[in-house]
Amino acid sequence: MALTSAALALPAFSASVPDQVEIGIKTTAYRESDQNPESVLVGSVQRYDININQFYLITPIGRDWGLALDLSHESMSGASPWGTVSVVGANTQLVMSGATIEEARNELSVGVTRYFDTASLGLSLTRSEENDYNATAMAVNGEWDFNNRQSTLAVGLSYSTDSIEPSDALSFGRTLKQARRNASFSLAWTQVLNRASVLQSGFSVTQHNGYLSDPYKLRDIRPRQRLETAINFRYRRFMQRSDSSLHLDYRYYHDDFGIGSHTLRSAWYQNLTDQFQLIPSVRYYSQNQADFYVGGDDYGLAETVFQSSDYRLSGFGAVTFGLQGRFSQRDWSVSVNFERYLSAAGYALNASRAEHPGLLRFSLLSFGFDFRL
Amino acid sequence: MNKSLLLVIIILLLYSCQTVQPWQRGLLARPEMQLEPDRLQAKLHSQVYFSNEASSGDSEVAGAGCGCN
Amino acid sequence: MQLYTTSFQAMGCPCELRLFAGSAAVAQDAAAACISEARRFEQKYSRYLDTSVTSLINRSAGVSATPIDPETFSLLQYADVCYEQSQGLFDITSGVLRKVWNKDRQTLPGQAELNEITRLVGWDKVRLSESEFFLPQRGMEIDFGGVVKEYAADAIAMRVRSSGISAALVSLGGDIVTFGAQLAGAAWPVGIVHPTRKSSVIATIYLKDMALATSGGYARYFDLQGKRYSHLINPNTGWPVDSLLSVSVSTEQAVVAGSISSIALLYDRQEALEWLENCGCAYFAIDQDLSCYGNLGG
Repeated sequence: MALTSAALALPAFSASVPDQVEIGIKTTAYRESDQNPESVLVGSVQRYDININQFYLITPIGRDWGLALDLSHESMSGASPWGTVSVVGANTQLVMSGATIEEARNELSVGVTRYFDTASLGLSLTRSEENDYNATAMAVNGEWDFNNRQSTLAVGLSYSTDSIEPSDALSFGRTLKQARRNASFSLAWTQVLNRASVLQSGFSVTQHNGYLSDPYKLRDIRPRQRLETAINFRYRRFMQRSDSSLHLDYRYYHDDFGIGSHTLRSAWYQNLTDQFQLIPSVRYYSQNQADFYVGGDDYGLAETVFQSSDYRLSGFGAVTFGLQGRFSQRDWSVSVNFERYLSAAGYALNASRAEHPGLLRFSLLSFGFDFRL
Repeated sequence: MNKSLLLVIIILLLYSCQTVQPWQRGLLARPEMQLEPDRLQAKLHSQVYFSNEASSGDSEVAGAGCGCN
Repeated sequence: MQLYTTSFQAMGCPCELRLFAGSAAVAQDAAAACISEARRFEQKYSRYLDTSVTSLINRSAGVSATPIDPETFSLLQYADVCYEQSQGLFDITSGVLRKVWNKDRQTLPGQAELNEITRLVGWDKVRLSESEFFLPQRGMEIDFGGVVKEYAADAIAMRVRSSGISAALVSLGGDIVTFGAQLAGAAWPVGIVHPTRKSSVIATIYLKDMALATSGGYARYFDLQGKRYSHLINPNTGWPVDSLLSVSVSTEQAVVAGSISSIALLYDRQEALEWLENCGCAYFAIDQDLSCYGNLGG
């Protein structure tokens, strides 16, 4: 209505700047189920355990600016697959990294946003460090509101450079130092459909250049370029009768490694009382294998021929079940979240013939605390 | 994947949208109606799935890569 | 967290601020900021103060354009949209009609007298630019009734909010803005006063992150030759409107609620109810027979 849009042009309303300081912490225990001992030829049967601690702060600076700070620390221990071996008369077997790997990753991200009457422009810098992998990323995001703020167009650009320096490179004959550059563009249109539902439709393209292989795998040779495209839809609907809200997310992904995937996620936010909310969720994922995926590492092939036995490039499907509980007061809330992830070749839409023995099962348990000042 | 069918659904949805006045947006403003109600959980999910699956790409560009993929 | 309440007088009305704060010092700071903001609006826009922008504009009518600041410009622009949306009924230049219709009047005015005065009314005659405003005829006047007090309530609420208070109710003479909830998530209850029995409440409305504005002809009226006339005058005809007794509107901004309810009172009863329905907002209306309409309160 004209009156409201005119009112929103009045000085007191022209800022959608965050009006409060928000702080959140979350601590998560991520546990991969152990590898089936029968599928491991050499090495440890234990997979990764990761403990993740996250922190964020969002604060207004003056009338027109906002600052966001994100920190995360991950400590990992466990083993990861080094390669696979096809044994005559048996299924493909895994070669796991022998000793327990102890690693840590730290990420710091700082973003500033300038708010205008019907637009905002943000810039963020992110740095991620591990002992063998460092990444620096820069992103610019712009948002414009149209049509009496019923439609929002968001455009994002990001660029990152990664450097890879595998540990123990000399003793294992690994590559010494490699680099990767990634550029990404995204476009999203958010539309208010009616007073209880919103739909976001988005599109993104990412180009990776440089060393894309896995330096720890015994024989892993991938193209030096990868172009990824994804289409996203996110739908939110509130149901007053049941005091609940439905989230539906869908993504179609495709890249020039030959991988295509579908991701469907649904969550149901059920308010039980004014303070307590229960959120069951389910996610389904299915991908087909990369063009150069091999079930077992083939040392007979020339080193110029692309091949990888990485389970992440195999064909598989995965299901995640999640349940979150959230207790909210006016200025703070606590949440507990549990998720269980199961993957198998048979879960894929086009179930592939051979299942990679390294496919994952994991559980995660998070505890979060958010408050506003 | 039938992209054209999806496109038709989206266009129908857009056509069916109504004018929603700012004072009618109380429901849309609720925390659970945000695209990402839980900032840290969204970041955690993209990290975990990025390191275990081949796909990535969100409507929002964010974050730096890691050695996990 | 504790509830702190402050009452004060501003813009010719009783005002009140209720807020939840962790300490009395925090509450006092917020209250001081609130009162000084209310005084600022009063100084700037009251037509009873010679030094206000409103008086300056009115004194310069037919003589010269008055320089205006961005805040005044945006308020005048808002008034322009109200004029358009109401097909000319809501006109901030219509205040001069009070010179004809007031309680000192003994007889009904003649058509000649009305023609003379309606000549001085007409938002379509003014000149507005980002830096200047000009009333082209001597005797023309503007007043910001139905706009500035409501907007001030919004601006004060924004200010209280940005000072770190998470729940408050701001009331400027019945124009109310709330944000946040009371303890345990409860909404803020607001009573609508009965149009004829001043001490009783006809409806209670619960507000949570919403504003409420009430306009009512019953507050000011006069009797003339056996008939009761409201102070609300149709600027097109020059005659008082025979309309609803009282309209309360709830929207996110008090300024929008205020103009929707003010415009409603300028229509006759049936048109007013249609206008309120078309606005799609929550409202509570009482007609001359004391029948109640709308989806607010109960």
